[in-house]
Amino acid sequence: MGEYVLPKSNISQWLSKLLAKYAVYVPIEVEKQVHWHLLEPRDLEKEPDAITPAQRRIRASEPVKSFMFQPRRQVASFPEPFTPEVSKPRVLLGIKSCDIAALKVHDKILGEGEFKDPFYLAQRKNTLLVVADCPEPEQSCFCNLLGLTPYAMEAGDAVLSVVDGNWVLGVTESGKGLVDLASELFTELREGSSELARRDEQRHTALVTLNMTNTKPWNPDLAGAVAAKLSDTAFWNKHAETCVECFGCLMGCPTCYCFLLYDQARDAGVDRTRAWDACYEAAYARVGGGANPRAEFVKRFANRFSCKFSAFKTDHGMYACTGCGRCLKSCMGKIDIRKVLGEL
Amino acid sequence: MSNPYQPIPATIIETHDETPNIRTFKLKPEREIPFLAGQFVELTVPGHGEAPFTPSSSHFKRDTFDMTIMKVGRATSALFDLEAGDRVGARGPFGQRYPLEKFEGKDIYIVGGGVGLAPLRALFLALVHEIDKYRRIFLRYGARTPDDIVYKHLLPEWQKIPKVDIDLSVDVSDERWMKKVGVVTCLMDDIPCDEKSSIAVVCGPPIMMKFVNQKLLDAGFQGSNIYLSMETNMSCGVGQCRHCRLGPYLTCKDGPVLTWDQIKDIENPFV
Repeated sequence: MGEYVLPKSNISQWLSKLLAKYAVYVPIEVEKQVHWHLLEPRDLEKEPDAITPAQRRIRASEPVKSFMFQPRRQVASFPEPFTPEVSKPRVLLGIKSCDIAALKVHDKILGEGEFKDPFYLAQRKNTLLVVADCPEPEQSCFCNLLGLTPYAMEAGDAVLSVVDGNWVLGVTESGKGLVDLASELFTELREGSSELARRDEQRHTALVTLNMTNTKPWNPDLAGAVAAKLSDTAFWNKHAETCVECFGCLMGCPTCYCFLLYDQARDAGVDRTRAWDACYEAAYARVGGGANPRAEFVKRFANRFSCKFSAFKTDHGMYACTGCGRCLKSCMGKIDIRKVLGEL
Repeated sequence: MSNPYQPIPATIIETHDETPNIRTFKLKPEREIPFLAGQFVELTVPGHGEAPFTPSSSHFKRDTFDMTIMKVGRATSALFDLEAGDRVGARGPFGQRYPLEKFEGKDIYIVGGGVGLAPLRALFLALVHEIDKYRRIFLRYGARTPDDIVYKHLLPEWQKIPKVDIDLSVDVSDERWMKKVGVVTCLMDDIPCDEKSSIAVVCGPPIMMKFVNQKLLDAGFQGSNIYLSMETNMSCGVGQCRHCRLGPYLTCKDGPVLTWDQIKDIENPFV
């Protein structure tokens, strides 16, 4: 991987170059929350490093999956087949380790099986991913419990670290073009440079912070422990007691991929939409005749844990959770997934 | 890359009322859908949604295929308003086929309840198409009343096929009914085949499946030889949306037919 430094004074110029070729999304802070923002030329007229602070924050509120696997999109029509529009190439500049790890879940389900989702794959192919370090993990973060780190373990197309206001960029073969389009703005870094040493120090500090936040590792056989606990209604009832079934944990989850296909009449035909769904929804598993294997909420609550930490691990060798903490941050009932799993 | 959510047009070329609320639709798709017995197709009723159904005709003839459907919900009610010449959408085939190679040389004991005979008909026709490969075929079928029996006009013909043995029951009889009265398990008190090696195939309402399965196990059938059509809520049909999750399985991808050995550890599989 080639490593470069982009001085803070050059950041706006580089972003201008990117904007000429790509739709560029960056994280920005709005009332202390981080959200994705489609960068516009006028944004660059502000202070040169105005978008830097949000790069140091944790993941945006919106999961990155929403860029590839949109909350709602048309996927078919009838009787004429549906032809999707082709969108401009995109750069997601500042996704986090927990989000790129989560995309692996979608890659497996939508991109690798016998039936592939052409809409997901087109968006995935059309998007360059720049993974930014999380130098300041928050209390809600627990990627360390999933064996992840608060900096890129998988580089995506490039890796970004903010070091003393400057941007240190590591680029893989697929992301090399990001630097090449304005190479005069970058200085290549040698191994042992002070910027890389400072970056590594920041990363170490972040990891120490996370390990201090989440001190107790989970059961090493979490998949087996969840499966064994599945019929213990009292256990799940205890943890589900304050849930108000708002589905915030599921909509914010970067790995959840349940969806529903529904049709809407249009002129003489039909448009088919694929929309995110929630396994907490009472009718989620109900069949046409009315029978429902998970009619009681406690069964749906347990099913979510079984799906993420048992079934997915058994089927695909990984948990469908990356410790991003969106579920517990969004929970009105203050349910902390770490506490539930910590008791197994 | 093909789009798994895109249906192809299929024309209804004929309908046949089986019972007051069950109808067989003969469909001609624009392109052949290469299903095998046990696999299913997602049927689009334009403007009213999509639902999964297993073809009920033989997979040895696929330029047209039959679907025998009960009117129970929004999509099926709208389907019953359509007539010959109208168009619907179809996509598939999805799911797993019956492993017919494992049935060869054996007795096949088929038990159906109500409209559950529809998917079993595709299997039955595939078996009789190559009847020499199998030892004998038993069909046990129960319906609520004589009027609720599907394929009334076909059953007498099927009974004439050598090596085929058919018996019927109804829960509630009328003056015309000369056969057994009772739920379908009343036909299973004396199972005339070798339980240890024979294959059992069951499809019907969940409560019927539960009791038939238990009766088969009590009779000595092996769990790996009992094939059960599991009813779950299937949306995508391609193993992605997860609505149809049943324990470790996605019935649209791993099923809809699963053996008792596969599902025996799942809590209340027949819900």
